[in-house]
Amino acid sequence: MNRLKAIADGQDIESVVHDEVLSREPVLTIQDFSLYYGRKQALHHITMPIAKGLVTALVGPSGCGKSTLLRSVNRMNDLIDSVSIEGDMVLGKDSIFAPGVDVIQLRKRMGMVFQKPNPFPMSIFENVVYPLRIDGERNKSTLMQVCEQSLRGAALWDEVKDRLGESGLGLSGGQQQRLCIARAIASDPEVLLLDEPCSALDPIATSKIEDLIEKLKGDYSILIVTHNMQQASRISDHTAFMYLGRLVEMGPTSTIFTRPKLQETEDYITGRFG
Amino acid sequence: MSSSTRRQRSGNHLRAQGEPLIWLTGGMFAIACFMIIGLLGFVLYQGLATLWPRSYLLLGTLDGELVAGEYRERRSYVLSRQNLDDLLPKSREAAQSQLDNRSEVTSHQWYLRTGNFEVINRHFQFVPEISIASREPFHPPDIWLLERRQWGNLYGFPKKLSWELEQGETAIQAVRSAMIEAAKTNRLFERAKRELEQLDRRLSNARLRVREAELADGSDLQRLADDVLATAVNIPRVDDTLSAHLKPIIETASQKERKALEHLARETISVQSQQISINEELARLEQEMRSRSLVMQLPVLDFRGEVALSADSFGLSQTSCPEPLHTVLGLEGKADDYKMKVILISEGHFLVSLQQSNAIPVYAWVDIAASKNTAKIHALREHQVLLSDIVRLIEPNRLSWTGKLGVYGSRWWEFLFGEPREAGVEGGVFPAIWGTIVMTLIMSMVVMPFGVLAALYMREYAKGGWLLSTIRISINNLAGVPSIVYGVFGLSFFCYTIGGYIDGGPVKAGFTPWPETTWFSALALLAIIGLVAFTLSFLTGRSKPDGSIGRRLLSTGSGLLWLATLAGIVLLLAKTPMFDGFYQAQLPNPTFGKGCLLWAACTLALLTLPVVIVATEEALAAVPNSLREGSYACGAGKWQTIERIVLPYARPGIITGFILAMARGAGEVAPMMLVGAIPLTSDLPLDMEFPFLHGSRSFMHLGFQIYALGFQSQNSEAAKPMVFTATLLLLTIVTLLNLTAIWLRARLRKRFQSSQF
Ligand SMILES: Nc1ncnc2c1ncn2[C@@H]1O[C@H](COP(=O)(O)OP(=O)(O)OP(=O)(O)O)[C@@H](O)[C@H]1O
Ligand SMILES: [Mg+2]
Repeated sequence: MNRLKAIADGQDIESVVHDEVLSREPVLTIQDFSLYYGRKQALHHITMPIAKGLVTALVGPSGCGKSTLLRSVNRMNDLIDSVSIEGDMVLGKDSIFAPGVDVIQLRKRMGMVFQKPNPFPMSIFENVVYPLRIDGERNKSTLMQVCEQSLRGAALWDEVKDRLGESGLGLSGGQQQRLCIARAIASDPEVLLLDEPCSALDPIATSKIEDLIEKLKGDYSILIVTHNMQQASRISDHTAFMYLGRLVEMGPTSTIFTRPKLQETEDYITGRFG
Repeated sequence: MSSSTRRQRSGNHLRAQGEPLIWLTGGMFAIACFMIIGLLGFVLYQGLATLWPRSYLLLGTLDGELVAGEYRERRSYVLSRQNLDDLLPKSREAAQSQLDNRSEVTSHQWYLRTGNFEVINRHFQFVPEISIASREPFHPPDIWLLERRQWGNLYGFPKKLSWELEQGETAIQAVRSAMIEAAKTNRLFERAKRELEQLDRRLSNARLRVREAELADGSDLQRLADDVLATAVNIPRVDDTLSAHLKPIIETASQKERKALEHLARETISVQSQQISINEELARLEQEMRSRSLVMQLPVLDFRGEVALSADSFGLSQTSCPEPLHTVLGLEGKADDYKMKVILISEGHFLVSLQQSNAIPVYAWVDIAASKNTAKIHALREHQVLLSDIVRLIEPNRLSWTGKLGVYGSRWWEFLFGEPREAGVEGGVFPAIWGTIVMTLIMSMVVMPFGVLAALYMREYAKGGWLLSTIRISINNLAGVPSIVYGVFGLSFFCYTIGGYIDGGPVKAGFTPWPETTWFSALALLAIIGLVAFTLSFLTGRSKPDGSIGRRLLSTGSGLLWLATLAGIVLLLAKTPMFDGFYQAQLPNPTFGKGCLLWAACTLALLTLPVVIVATEEALAAVPNSLREGSYACGAGKWQTIERIVLPYARPGIITGFILAMARGAGEVAPMMLVGAIPLTSDLPLDMEFPFLHGSRSFMHLGFQIYALGFQSQNSEAAKPMVFTATLLLLTIVTLLNLTAIWLRARLRKRFQSSQF
């Protein structure tokens, strides 16, 4: 517990990142990244690679900065005026925070799914093809094809194929969340960012989405925030444990959940604190 | 905790029970309801009742007068010693006895609509109940009500038609069928008059063209134009010889001037010949209109003489006309040919109808003297009415219930879709309705883009800060500025400054233009400033938004420069020496430099701008941020997000605000008085005449109509009924607009309701 106490006291600690993680080819590298909301620092010198084609889970107690980190990846935090950052992230070979980066172009390379489903007030079809629409795609058959593909990918196709013209708001919560996932994968992104996608859902919908993540793995690199340890252990390949804006330990999920290098991680995983 | 003694709580006094507060709040609620329902009910009753046809009655007073009118209502009033002097002797006596020793008592009087304005010089009459001698009012069954184009209503008995009745035709049938003919003639007459006006307009347009040529060349064409006109008068037709005739006169003028002068000559000649034929047509039509008339007997007494006739001659059983009566009235034929009907109006006062076989009866009024041996004979005043003047002929006392409904409907129809008659006191308010609608539509077309874009900027683009808050508060406060202030502003800014600028350039708008050299140097300077502003904003747009001081300075600087550029453009426009206005030739008659449709719409747009901005801002604020984030996460740009997500979601709210603004604008009167509404015009702001929408015309407006009729017309008592109908109409329009807003909001909102889970 002394590391966590040190963090709480505001001291810098060394994050432990396992070699198995470092040895994988990363799709996204976070390099000494810090973020401030006004004066308040929310992320402290985070350095971690996100492996290509795998699922990386972010766990940690509430308020430790998981969402903040996730939202920094596609620069969603630009929308908040008070935010300032230090450090950088690299997607593929391109810096994310370098001056002159085209944020819109950057976001087109990622898909994001939020904690609460947020389907747009338009038809199911239009919801799914929204990323293509804003790229100016007009070809009906292309749109239809992408729509079907994405909906199948999000395991929603069979449920909505007969009512693509109906409003996306008419779906159930779980369906709405899968619709948002379909929307996120419609533009065939390199990275998929999921922020507690199952927190508003019942167990059945949750398991459907977990299956889905399982299925998407390989094609997409996925970064997922979750509070549910079982879920993290079931679906992720790598797990990162964060605490008060700092990365504590990151390693292969099997290792983290069975014999982590740090006592603190084990305590958190097993629910002895947090 | 549990061991410590609990604080004793009392709960049993009055305030705790809250009874008085229920009474207080409930009472206030009831008062509010009462006031709203009272106001609505009042307007509704007065507005709906005005056009309902009433019965017409005749009364005799104690002093032997004949009182006649359409019965409106019985009103209470205070009878006091002071107003005894207004009464005639016998009525005064009666009043005195009623007063007894008190200084005043509450009494009643009847409120009658008399009509026949040109004969008796009033529209309404109050008859004190104490001076009424008749036991019952008499409702003459064959009284006619003629609603006329001029002079308002006329009540009377028909006496004579200017043409022969056909076999088996009654007078009313004859008049009704003749009215249809007359209406046709009337329409032709109106059309001819309009054509004449158009010809006049053509002539003045031709003159304008000459004036324009004059202005363009700075020459004086007055003498030439006179010569051209003098020549043109003598040429009967436009043909090839015209140019030859004109050539020597206009040789000296420039190409453009020659064209204008030739045009003037051609127009003069063709207008001349057409004018002659139209004037002939008008004369013929007028002849025709004069040929059909009818003579009415109005309930106004003309003393004819006192004759020796006893009271017995007018017994109700009497059926033949007494000889003296026949003589003094100067009737045709023999007295024996007349059948007499006698109606007792009041003690000693009779209305007598004398009918010769099947002809139209003649009426007379007989006063039997106290001695009962002589009688004063009065004829009813005769009055001639042209058939083409009659709009509607009703027999008010013969109307069945359905007949009344029919008249009511036809009056409403006329009210809604007809032209005003009698300076707006009678007839329709169609021009006012139309003016209100067109003005409101233009207003919304002006205010919508401004309001929505401004709100979008404030909500979606602008970074918060004290400046934005100040502006937002100011906008909210603008909604509370008295509307007359907008009127004054509109008049001085839109009408005189911008309108004057359009009419006659900077000079007319009150600016002194710069000399050309100064102006062009200023233009060059402005171009440089604009270029710098553009470069700066281009640079700031490119650089990374890192919140550094330098960048912030840069963006503030470019904003200020843009503002300076804008101000510079305005200044340059105001000071240009090269613009003389589009309507210079018409001056000193203003075209846009006065109150007119366009400026009224702009003024109202300004007035409703806060409503639109506030509503739009609220609607935008209600768009969940998660939707915006979702859109950005998909890689959408700012405008794409606004266009595809924010605006559709906010649309119900925006539309609601928009309709509320329309409702507010439609009901506004005070600014209208200053910026273009006038009480009477036959020109519509939007009609079939090129260019269809006439922004520079003055127009009629319902709200203004209410004010003008009620307080500005010569006879506001006569106009009062119209005031209430117009109020009802305006209220209906505004209510309909508001209901539409509510309905639309409910309907659109349903589309955005997410399912619950
Ligand atoms: N918009 C913001 N402005 C200021 N502070 C913020 C903002 N958003 C988050 N924070 C702060 O940053 C810290 C991290 O927040 P974040 O939302 O990333 O936590 P989290 O790990 O996602 O928590 P949870 O598991 O509850 O979602 C918190 O202390 C929070 O108070
Ligand atoms: Mg979170």
